[in-house]
Amino acid sequence: MVTKAVVSVSVAASITITSSKLLINPAHRFLCLKRLSSFNSFSASSLAIKWRGISSCSSNKSGTAMEGFTTRTRASAQPLENADELISSVETFIFDCDGVIWKGDKLIDGVPETLDMLRSKGKRLVFVTNNSTKSRKQYGKKFETLGLNVGEEEIFASSFAAAAYLKSIDFPKDKKVYVIGEDGILKELELAGFQYLGGPEDGGKKIELKPGFLMEHDEEVGAVVVGFDRYFNYYKVQYGTLCIRENPGCLFIATNRDAVTHLTDAQEWAGGGSMVGAICGSTQREPLVVGKPSTFMMDYLADKFGILKSQICMVGDRLDTDILFGQNGGCKTLLVLSGVTTLSMLQSPSNSIQPDFYTNKISDFLAPKAATV
Amino acid sequence: MESTTPNPTSTAAAELLTCANAKLLLDSVDAFLFDCDGVIWKGDKLIDGIPETLEMLRSKGKKLVFVTNNSTKSRIQYANKFRTLGLSVSQDEIFSSSFAAAMYLKVNQFPPQKKVYVIGGEGIVQELQLAGFTALGGPEDGEKRAQWKSNCLFEHDKDVAAVVVGLDPDINYYKLQYGTLCIRENPGCLFIATNRDSVGHMTDLQEWPGAGCMVGAICGSTEREPVVVGKPSTFMMEFLLQKFNLSTSRMCMVGDRLDTDILFGQNAGCKTLLVLSGVTTKSILDDPSNKIQPDYYTNKVSDILGLLGE
Repeated sequence: MVTKAVVSVSVAASITITSSKLLINPAHRFLCLKRLSSFNSFSASSLAIKWRGISSCSSNKSGTAMEGFTTRTRASAQPLENADELISSVETFIFDCDGVIWKGDKLIDGVPETLDMLRSKGKRLVFVTNNSTKSRKQYGKKFETLGLNVGEEEIFASSFAAAAYLKSIDFPKDKKVYVIGEDGILKELELAGFQYLGGPEDGGKKIELKPGFLMEHDEEVGAVVVGFDRYFNYYKVQYGTLCIRENPGCLFIATNRDAVTHLTDAQEWAGGGSMVGAICGSTQREPLVVGKPSTFMMDYLADKFGILKSQICMVGDRLDTDILFGQNGGCKTLLVLSGVTTLSMLQSPSNSIQPDFYTNKISDFLAPKAATV
Repeated sequence: MESTTPNPTSTAAAELLTCANAKLLLDSVDAFLFDCDGVIWKGDKLIDGIPETLEMLRSKGKKLVFVTNNSTKSRIQYANKFRTLGLSVSQDEIFSSSFAAAMYLKVNQFPPQKKVYVIGGEGIVQELQLAGFTALGGPEDGEKRAQWKSNCLFEHDKDVAAVVVGLDPDINYYKLQYGTLCIRENPGCLFIATNRDSVGHMTDLQEWPGAGCMVGAICGSTEREPVVVGKPSTFMMEFLLQKFNLSTSRMCMVGDRLDTDILFGQNAGCKTLLVLSGVTTKSILDDPSNKIQPDYYTNKVSDILGLLGE
């Protein structure tokens, strides 16, 4: 039995987005996506399609479940032969982190020099990660520990995206957010001025399914944010499920739906897609996804920095999040093979996501001629 | 044997059960198939009028069968639960999705030297053991925690060739990770779901997330869809038919969920009766988005007794 790929914000499909704040009526106010700026070009109907495409993406490992997206036939990815040409053609580089900058807690070779070189050429650098366990500030510290000169304002984690999304729709400050996720999400919500419940401490709460036992839930919860959660348990699932099913208009927001993640460099670990899948299973609803491949973070930073998406190159190691994110946003895309994707996965007939370019690792930018892949 | 794709055959609106059609129904079937949660009991409390109704049906020569998606107990444990509640039901009359999972492996000749990892309750573990299989995981993994230090590898048994996922109130990250690694890395590893019910009445006072939650979690981390052995798949019907020499058109499925119980009955060619004592309300039944219409509906099972004037 397949879960319906129906979007919880499908009401957006019937709205024409204009440059003003978009409210149908107070009761629906936070069901509508507020447009972020006047030069964002996403239309309501294409937004609804994207969400549907995203939710059906999860059923296919290599990301071939593209129905619902307006796909154009893409040529096969080209090996990066002229790095200088790519560098000159864009203003901004967006980097994924895991598998591109570092693996676990180890920097990938040549990263510091590459970032320095790009900065010296006047390029803006942005770091976009689906990993919601840390806040931007905590990521800033990680970069610092690894000897990289990256400011907090250049980092966009999906934990930040969740808080930024709630801010963008004027989520009421008197409403609460229930979190099935880790510290990063809590910190970002707090910074944005939202009240939250749940998080890691609910990982210690136990349930006893006995006669007469009733689990109460706060009726003021207006959104449930679900992300990667190593303290996942039945208590949290029930709490989140009750909020979504019983609190009128309660939002279901996912930081991301990555099936697996490289928590340690040695192996794959069940990712945020697992926790989100659990809540989809109990609520029979699809979430609003704020992390890659959703373009929410792309639109946010394009708006914030005043940059055109055609002037951006997205660099990542995952086809169904990073590359799709770049393509959805209308950017150039570069796949690096230093993370989860191998050349044979890229070239497999079952893969339909083709970046513009591919190369071994980002330090290939330092070699003017083609690096042998 | 594979689970069949659900295919509702009837779209005419459900009829309210009345004196007239209750009599017709009783005369036209030889066996009643009952779901349990929300039909016979809610949590550990019997729903009103159940003992008398079941007795009446038995006295009229009707066969009674209990088909439940709740995999936390084995058939033997369910028979004990019935007994504790004052009902006389033998384990042969019970078809739980825990039993279905073990039978699926058996009929598909799962090699006994391979192992099964269980994300679920004691019921699944017991049924697997009864069928001669080695089960890992289950409730005891509820106490285990993963470690994520850089030199620590999360190990998993390479002999696991099937992961069975059912309702698991002791779900945790350790189990999600173990099941995920088996499915993604052990070649040919099966992914079996006892069922995909989103919620159920695990206690009398409210609904709780069902197996659909745990199964959804593993779908999310493996990007695979499972084989579903419980309702609405008709897999369990094959075993029922072996036991009772009856045509499915002479059976009536009685349940509280449209997308499992009623669909199961329809898929198998049985008559179907929806009771409103569980997860489904009249407004859900009547909602335009609902495409599943049982033959009949009524408040609760004991209405049969009342309508027949017994």
